[in-house]
Amino acid sequence: MSENLIELKNVRKEFVTAKHYPGFKGAVKSLFSKEKIRKTAVDNVSFAIKEGEMVGYIGSNGAGKSTTIKMMSGILTPTSGSCLVNGLEPYKERKKNAKNIGVVFGQRTQLWWDLPLGETYTVLKEIYEVSDQDFTERMAFFQEVLNLQDFMHSTVRTLSLGQRMRADLAAALLHNPKVLYLDEPTIGLDVVVKDRIRQAIREINQKYNTTVILTTHDLNDIEELCQRIIIIDAGKKIYDAKLNQLIKDYGDSCSISFEWKQRPNALQMEKLQMEKTQMEKTQMESQQNLGGKLEMHINESNVQVCFSKKEFTIAEVFAKIMGLIDVKDVQIKETELTDIVKRIYQGNKGNQV
Amino acid sequence: MRKFFKIYWPFALNYIKSNFVYKGRFYLFILRKFLGMFIYYYLWMAIYASSASDQLGGFTRSEMILYVFMSYTISDMVMVGISSEIGSDVIDGNVAMSLIKPINYRMRLVFQALGVMLYRAVVPSLFIWIGLEIYKAAYLGMAVSNPLTILATLCSIVFSFFIFIFFDYCFGMLAFVTTYIFGMNIIKNAVLNFLTGKLMPISFFPEILQKVFAFLPFSAITYVPVMIYLGKYSGLQVLFQLGKQVLWVGILYLLGSFLWKKVEKRIVILGG
Repeated sequence: MSENLIELKNVRKEFVTAKHYPGFKGAVKSLFSKEKIRKTAVDNVSFAIKEGEMVGYIGSNGAGKSTTIKMMSGILTPTSGSCLVNGLEPYKERKKNAKNIGVVFGQRTQLWWDLPLGETYTVLKEIYEVSDQDFTERMAFFQEVLNLQDFMHSTVRTLSLGQRMRADLAAALLHNPKVLYLDEPTIGLDVVVKDRIRQAIREINQKYNTTVILTTHDLNDIEELCQRIIIIDAGKKIYDAKLNQLIKDYGDSCSISFEWKQRPNALQMEKLQMEKTQMEKTQMESQQNLGGKLEMHINESNVQVCFSKKEFTIAEVFAKIMGLIDVKDVQIKETELTDIVKRIYQGNKGNQV
Repeated sequence: MRKFFKIYWPFALNYIKSNFVYKGRFYLFILRKFLGMFIYYYLWMAIYASSASDQLGGFTRSEMILYVFMSYTISDMVMVGISSEIGSDVIDGNVAMSLIKPINYRMRLVFQALGVMLYRAVVPSLFIWIGLEIYKAAYLGMAVSNPLTILATLCSIVFSFFIFIFFDYCFGMLAFVTTYIFGMNIIKNAVLNFLTGKLMPISFFPEILQKVFAFLPFSAITYVPVMIYLGKYSGLQVLFQLGKQVLWVGILYLLGSFLWKKVEKRIVILGG
């Protein structure tokens, strides 16, 4: 067996759907039309994940994240390519694979809707053949990290979203799976619950060395949990690296806004413009022209300078501007993960056009 | 085998429990069943009253009373629709939640249906049956059914449960192809009312149709167990009918496995 727990090679998934036409006339037309549309949801995606890794799998809506997760959990069959999870092909050996994985789909629940929460766990205990000892031990652990005891005897349909999500997480982990897929586990939750869920995931990863694959739109989840990040867009993998590498690669841009005491006069304005030209020149002449962003916006109450930290240091920019105008307040804004990801998405869109 | 039961039994048990969750539903369902039965009963009584002969389609008035109540309770017990369950699983994408578990989807559905069946066997079928036996002895002047007949009927009911469930599973596979099967389900139920003998005994149909119906598996769902109960078959015929039921269980089971293999590859999870 290879050291990689999960291996995807050139995985591709196409969906065939009937074509629908707009409007009432279109609706009637759709009934008789045989036209089909072939849609590629996942296109040639390959990656490998090691045991115990926590990977953030992100992409905009409809990028193909959930489809990939569904192929890895054995629900969907890839159109082509191969996918191995713990040495098994999930869609061929669905039942065997199911024992190795735990899945939480944030928008669905596997809990028994009409019955008290506790009943769900006793059913799962039998399905996964968890021994009495393991069951008691793990339930005690979940009680501790997820605080389930308050609503253990409530009917599932009466639980709040946050309670339900915590309960769902416990349900996915009851059989101590090797791999945990979390498809938007923090969707629609408040900050406190989000934090608790993240904490639980972290503890489980440490205690059982569980491999976690997480898709989310909340990049704070990624920042707090994952060491590695894979970005896909329109079905294609566009980025795959360690999180700190990502910040090193893209997190160089910095923006400083200087608030002035009084509006600079025409002469000072001119000097500011000259300084900008000067900076552009330095940038052009520098040995390693990285082509970073360099912008200066003059607003009503402040001037904002955006630059790349690879080309100028913060101190340099400070010195330049402070020498020109009377500054009342300064704000430094470094790139956040959100901005980086936005840049990568947009960059990818730009390449496609 | 014990392990198998341990895994799937909770599904049956939880469905029984779910049936007690909503109080209003519990009572309304019982009420609805009684209403349905008595409508049939009065309908047939009116038919017998206006007919010159006291035998119709080989049934005396007393036998028809038994037929109405037995066919109604037996179809209620054994015709536990799982195709509608499959249909809704497909439409809202919840089939995904079943597929991530190390269980067989069909077995899960079978055990759920088993739970419903056992529940319905008690609420209210058992009571109707006991009532019917008393009524039979006290008012119709017939003997109480002998244990062997009851045993044969129970066997037949179990087989007809499996025939219906495996057939409905095959039917439910259509949901994966067409997505929406609600309408087809209604058609299916209407047709089955005829074919199973729930609406009227199959002996009321023309000779040629009877032959066709005897060949199909559906008559074994309601008509056969009721006829066994009424003692309309001789000992050998009973065995033959039970054998035919077992055969259909096997055929429909294999057909279901085959269809699932076909459908499994084209599963689409709707809604995220």
